[in-house]
Amino acid sequence: MCDSCGCGDTNLVPVEVQQRILSDNERTAAHNRHHFAERSLLAINVMGSPGAGKTAVLEATARAAGDTRLIGALAGDLATDNDARRLAAAGIRAESITTGSACHLDAAMVHHALHHLPWSDLDYLFIENVGNLVCPAVYDLGQAANVVVLAVTEGEDKPLKYPVMFHKADLVLISKVDLLPHLPEISLDRIVVSLQAVMPEPKYIAVSARTGAGIAEWVKWLHDQEPNQDARLERSRDARPERSRQLDHHA
Amino acid sequence: MHEYSIVQALYDKVAAQAAERRATRVHEVRVRIGDLSGVDVGLLDTAWRTFRVNTICDAAPMEVERVPGDDLILERIVMEVP
Repeated sequence: MCDSCGCGDTNLVPVEVQQRILSDNERTAAHNRHHFAERSLLAINVMGSPGAGKTAVLEATARAAGDTRLIGALAGDLATDNDARRLAAAGIRAESITTGSACHLDAAMVHHALHHLPWSDLDYLFIENVGNLVCPAVYDLGQAANVVVLAVTEGEDKPLKYPVMFHKADLVLISKVDLLPHLPEISLDRIVVSLQAVMPEPKYIAVSARTGAGIAEWVKWLHDQEPNQDARLERSRDARPERSRQLDHHA
Repeated sequence: MHEYSIVQALYDKVAAQAAERRATRVHEVRVRIGDLSGVDVGLLDTAWRTFRVNTICDAAPMEVERVPGDDLILERIVMEVP
C-alpha cells in the first residue's frame, strides 16, 4: 500500500472485472451457432445419463425421418467410437468426439469435430453429449435446443436429483417406455410430476426406440423446430456451387 | 467434475488481467456463482486450491458470492502491482 516513503512495498490494487468465466466457450458456441444458422441447420444437444438410450433414440430417429431429412451426429464419449459406428450403421453421417477424461463436450470440441464431418448440407445435427447429468448442462455448444433422454429405469425422482440439467432441457424424451409393464413400481405420471417441478416449461414425449412408440411425435417436434423454411429453400437454390468452397474452408 | 475446466477458464482470465497490469502477484479473486450454474462451490474451491499452486495466484483465496440464477462471473481481482 506504500508508494511514498521508499520502503519498497508494492501497491495492492483491486480490479473490477465482471466477466463471464466461460466467455471463451460462449464465443465459440456463438460461432458454431452462426455457422448452423447460415446453413439453416437444426442443431440439437442430446444429453442424459450413460445408458439412458441417447444413441438408440437417434437410431430410431434415422429410421423415422431419414428418408426426408439428412441427419448427422457428433457422438461424445470418453473412449471408443462405438456410438458413432452405431449411428453410421443407422444411416446417420456420424463422427465421434473422444474426450479422454473430460466429462462433457464444449464448444471448441464441437467446432473441431465439424472440421471432420461434412455438415453444411445436413438438415439435423445431433450432438450426443457425454453420458452425464451434471457437467454437460454448463457448456453451450451452439445448439438450437437441449433434449434430455431419461429412461424410465433411472427412477422417478431423477429430475429432482439433477435439477440444473432438467431446468435447461427444452424437451425431455422419457425413453424405454416399453419396459414399463415390467416395472410395476415405476409410474410414468410420477416421472412427469418430477419434471414439472424442475422444468420452467415442462415438455416431454414418452418414447420407445424398440417399439417406435412416441417416435412420430418426436420427429414432429423436430420438424417444428426447423429454421425458417424460406431460408431452407434459398439454401437449396444457392448453396450447391458454394459447397465445395465452404468444405475447403472447414477442411 | 467440470469444476477444473471452470477453474482453468477462470485462471486464464485472471492471468490475462494480471499481465495487462504487470502485476507481480494476485492476492484475492472474487467470483459470483449462481445456484443454477451447475457448479459445486466446494469442488470449485478445491479445484482452485490445486490449480493456483506455483502460479501468480499462489495462496490467493477465491471469495465466492452465491446468487440465484446461473451466473458464473469473475467479479474482482486484488493484485499487487509494482
